Amino acid sequence: MSPNKQHEEENRETAGAETGYDEISSPSAHVPSEVNELFAPENSGRHLTNLLTDLGERNLYDAAVQCNRCGYCETSCPTYMLTGRETISARGRNQFMRMLLEGKARDSAAAAESLSTCLLCGACTSACYAKVPTPDIVLEGRRTLDGYGDNFFARAAVKTLLDAPALFGFWLKLAYLVKMTGLPRLAAKMGLYDFIGMPGLADAEGAVNKVPLRFAAEILRRDPALRPGGKTAANWAYFAACGPNYLLTEVALATVRVLRRHAGEGIFIENQCCGLLAHNYGRLEDAREFARRNILRYEELKAVFGDFPLVADCASCAAFMKSYEQLFTGDEVWRPRAKAFAAAVRDILELIPAESLSHAEPARLEAAGRITYHDSCRAAHGQGIRKEPRAALRKLAGKRYTELPESDWCCGGAGAFAFTQPELSARVLDRKLRNIASVQANTVVVGSTSCLVQINAGLKAAYPSAKAVHYSVLLDSLTSEGAKLPADNAKINL
Amino acid sequence: MFKHDRIKDILPELGAIAGPENVHTDEAEILMYSYDAGMARARPEAVVTVTAAAQVAPLLKLLYKAGIPFLPRLAGTNLSGGTIPLKGGVILNLSRLKKIRQIDTGARLALVEPGVVNLELQRALEPFGFFYAPDPASQKVSTIGGNIGENAGGPLCLKYGVTSDNVEKLEVVTPEGDVKTWSYKDPGPDLMSLMVGSEGTLGVVTHAWLKILPIPRHIKTASAAFTSLDDAMRAVTRVIGDGIVPRALEAMDRVSLDAALNGKTSPFPAGTEAVLIIELDGADAVKVKRDLEDVEKICAANACAAFKVAADEAERELLWAARKGAYPAMARLAPDVLVEDGVVPRPRLPEALKETREILSKYKLTAGLLFHAGDGNLHPNMIFDRRDIQEVKRVKKAGYEILKSCIKLGGTISGEHGIGVEKRVAMNWLYGRDELDFFRRIKAAFDPADLANPDKILPVAADARAEAAPESLADRAALSPQARALVDELRLRARSGERTAVTGLGTRLKADRIMQGAKSLDLRSLASRAVIDRENLTVRAEAGLELEELRRQLKDAGLNLELPDLKGSVGGLIAAKVFPDLRELLLGLEIVTADGTLLELGGRTVKNVAGYDAVKLFCGSMGAYGVILGATFAVSAGARRAQAAYQEPAAWDAFEPDDYHRRLKKALDPRNLLNPWLYRGENTP
Repeated sequence: MSPNKQHEEENRETAGAETGYDEISSPSAHVPSEVNELFAPENSGRHLTNLLTDLGERNLYDAAVQCNRCGYCETSCPTYMLTGRETISARGRNQFMRMLLEGKARDSAAAAESLSTCLLCGACTSACYAKVPTPDIVLEGRRTLDGYGDNFFARAAVKTLLDAPALFGFWLKLAYLVKMTGLPRLAAKMGLYDFIGMPGLADAEGAVNKVPLRFAAEILRRDPALRPGGKTAANWAYFAACGPNYLLTEVALATVRVLRRHAGEGIFIENQCCGLLAHNYGRLEDAREFARRNILRYEELKAVFGDFPLVADCASCAAFMKSYEQLFTGDEVWRPRAKAFAAAVRDILELIPAESLSHAEPARLEAAGRITYHDSCRAAHGQGIRKEPRAALRKLAGKRYTELPESDWCCGGAGAFAFTQPELSARVLDRKLRNIASVQANTVVVGSTSCLVQINAGLKAAYPSAKAVHYSVLLDSLTSEGAKLPADNAKINL
Repeated sequence: MFKHDRIKDILPELGAIAGPENVHTDEAEILMYSYDAGMARARPEAVVTVTAAAQVAPLLKLLYKAGIPFLPRLAGTNLSGGTIPLKGGVILNLSRLKKIRQIDTGARLALVEPGVVNLELQRALEPFGFFYAPDPASQKVSTIGGNIGENAGGPLCLKYGVTSDNVEKLEVVTPEGDVKTWSYKDPGPDLMSLMVGSEGTLGVVTHAWLKILPIPRHIKTASAAFTSLDDAMRAVTRVIGDGIVPRALEAMDRVSLDAALNGKTSPFPAGTEAVLIIELDGADAVKVKRDLEDVEKICAANACAAFKVAADEAERELLWAARKGAYPAMARLAPDVLVEDGVVPRPRLPEALKETREILSKYKLTAGLLFHAGDGNLHPNMIFDRRDIQEVKRVKKAGYEILKSCIKLGGTISGEHGIGVEKRVAMNWLYGRDELDFFRRIKAAFDPADLANPDKILPVAADARAEAAPESLADRAALSPQARALVDELRLRARSGERTAVTGLGTRLKADRIMQGAKSLDLRSLASRAVIDRENLTVRAEAGLELEELRRQLKDAGLNLELPDLKGSVGGLIAAKVFPDLRELLLGLEIVTADGTLLELGGRTVKNVAGYDAVKLFCGSMGAYGVILGATFAVSAGARRAQAAYQEPAAWDAFEPDDYHRRLKKALDPRNLLNPWLYRGENTP
């Protein structure tokens, strides 16, 4: 049947139905994998078999089907608000995936624009009463779109990061050197920024003018106080997320200082990448491998120290690690271990109780100016963290803290989004910057690497009287004996 | 004919008007515009995202020339399949038209584009101390354009009226591409109100002037928990019947409440089966307080288990979040939900409830019951999984039976969600052939090529009558012998082609206006005693009854018609439209057309969006579209509200027909038999 004919058929069929109810699909005839070869059994390992939704464990189809199309998520979807197109909206993406699974749409490539414009911010899930996990569902569609991350760069980067982190570090430093010579475009072409989830770096030249030639892990490893060896107790373990580790070492060091000051002595876990990159690039099996290694490392330490919180300082990583169980739903051995691991993960944003803080010295606050808080998507929507950081900031800054309008509107950084969708990303960012300017903030506190880079790049160009600062860095500067918030914004970035 | 080709032919022109990047014909776009929040599905052939209101007219001209159907669409939260393109064609996506162009607190008007989200408008008005009354539960996403298309209600419409009561003026692009600006206050038949609730079948709204109101100084919100839903309904009837006018009076049953609470601890006592949310407002704190005490007493007298006044804004918001979240929260219980939208006269709510429950249990369905109780508007939210064909069939059948039970109880099939495609067939049960034919004439007058959202609202051939049509008005005892005599007289005149001057009591119409050769039709005889429904707070009066007499009869019953002191007859008041805000009280009309056909339009419920709002069309019709035999009004109990002095406009008949007035005249009275001087020209010999 020609596509045209098909249209007619469908239209006639619907119009002719007694009441217009859709009776085209029947459940028994649409076991998804039988219908759409994209989700054929040989690809089953490359897709999450089941999603852990708010309503319980569901297969992909059932998770998507839970959306009853009420549309209440639409106004929370940044890309819908900017484009006004159902195609570029949460409900649209969800419905397309459903139709793909039902075989009504044949090819995920048809919805390439729809699926690739999703920020994965999760605002839709927060707005949804059934908490339909649209970002997870979109990711399953994207995996097929990206050929399961089989292209050369994605494979090379993930594999290097996985099997030869030292080599990865070497390449990265090389890229940084190239950048320092003023050839950042070349660095971008080498694809290296992509690997750390910040391809936008190549464009955000203004914001990135200093890169670390010693990674956080290298510094922390040398700190005897952080070594597990010889210790019997640890109040916390620091998990160095890739952003703070490879790029924003200041953040990692600040987090460790804050932890020591407020939670006592702890250890550095010497972790691997959390696996989010591999996961989002479509390389699910690699993501599982990252997860397994981190779980093993955690279990080793747990055997010695008992329970301890595993603290990460990038909301994206923390949120992903909290969802490790979802990677192993079909794996009886690893599932409970992943669950136990996930239960130990804490975002630094939620860790420091406001009661343990007191109002900061006026001089320190002076440097920060008017402080506001941006909800990083993976903190607010991914982990439900909203109250804790606000309470801490209010306690520290008092009246100098002010609420940011639409604080959980995505900044448009969203990992690789700023790179793959520069135009849309800029428009998403623009609204964020306007809101920052509307409260005349000077310091925008964020909880994830991507937000930090993205917002700072935007502020530098459009509203230079404000700067984005990682939560740990601000906490450190307001509470420590020596450290003060550096006046030069750039130093915080890199 | 291949549908694709017809789009291909005009693609360059579509692109030239809207920008090529805003015209989509790819599979993904087509699929993602094939659904809305209802159950129906159909694919468009192209989606055009409109980026400026001025693009709409050239687009419609182009589509008219090419003979391609179109459908304006906004957030797509429609619950009756109204935004499904049954005949393919082009979707006009108006979501990007979301500018609030003007907020004029002096004139109490806001000028907005159709894509403005209802809640965004509320937020924009708040700093000025104003609000826009219609507040559908979907207000977080639904747009003003969509609200106008469906004639949306919401909790506050109990006191402040539905969308059609809150629109001042509309800029409309007709299906042929003409741009019109119509206000309900314009002399002549009210074309603006006809557009409200027309679901995009008569044209596309491109700008709307909305009435805005000052936020009342005092607002009190209370919740009342009952161990029986019936007790709650009885309390509702008492509250309204006692003349208390809450700004909202909402009810939800246990299933809805549990879904909305979503595992949170219920603030209501154990065993709660129903909760009422009662909100009162006003400028006078003492009166609000007194009313609230009265409401509490009434609730207590009806076995209320717990009555609690919200202590602060946070508690108040919590109550409303539970109420407004009750429908979307059903998504937690099952993948699909069908929301029914029946209306019954308020005192019949307990019966409607009983029947609804029987139907639900007969079909073994779970539903959360939500009521705009003060309006008699029921929303059973039936949950199901559309992958289960058998269950879908049961839900469908149950939905229809609920609608039939509403009709039987003197109500209607849609209070605020529209007819769309899903309730098309139910129009057959509500209306007789003559009324449906009348609606079809209206549609044809506006959209002769049948391009604007085709096959919506009115039953098509496939929606065959499953049973006998409702008893027509002529067969009902309601018509007085005098009325019957008048109808017979008109039929005789129609047969002989004699022209008629509908003169009513002759209060306003000047004798020199009457055209020679038009025989006068005196309505003085149509003055039987008004039929007062004390419980439902409605009155039906014949057209020849003097307003003063009507007022007297109402007063004897302790009721008021909240109108300024106007002279003349009931029919004259409506036909002359000397007080345009009459629209807020007028619920139903009985009409006899030029050829003697009897029509019963509207009804006895305060909410009714089944079919075109022809009741308002007759406001200002000056007798030329049909003769008003009787009218039903909403009345109030208790003390009459103070009425501002009202000066009747001297030039009430300064009426120059718009070409759409003429088209309607041609459709409704093709031989120009009634008050022929008003439509001189082509029809006049």
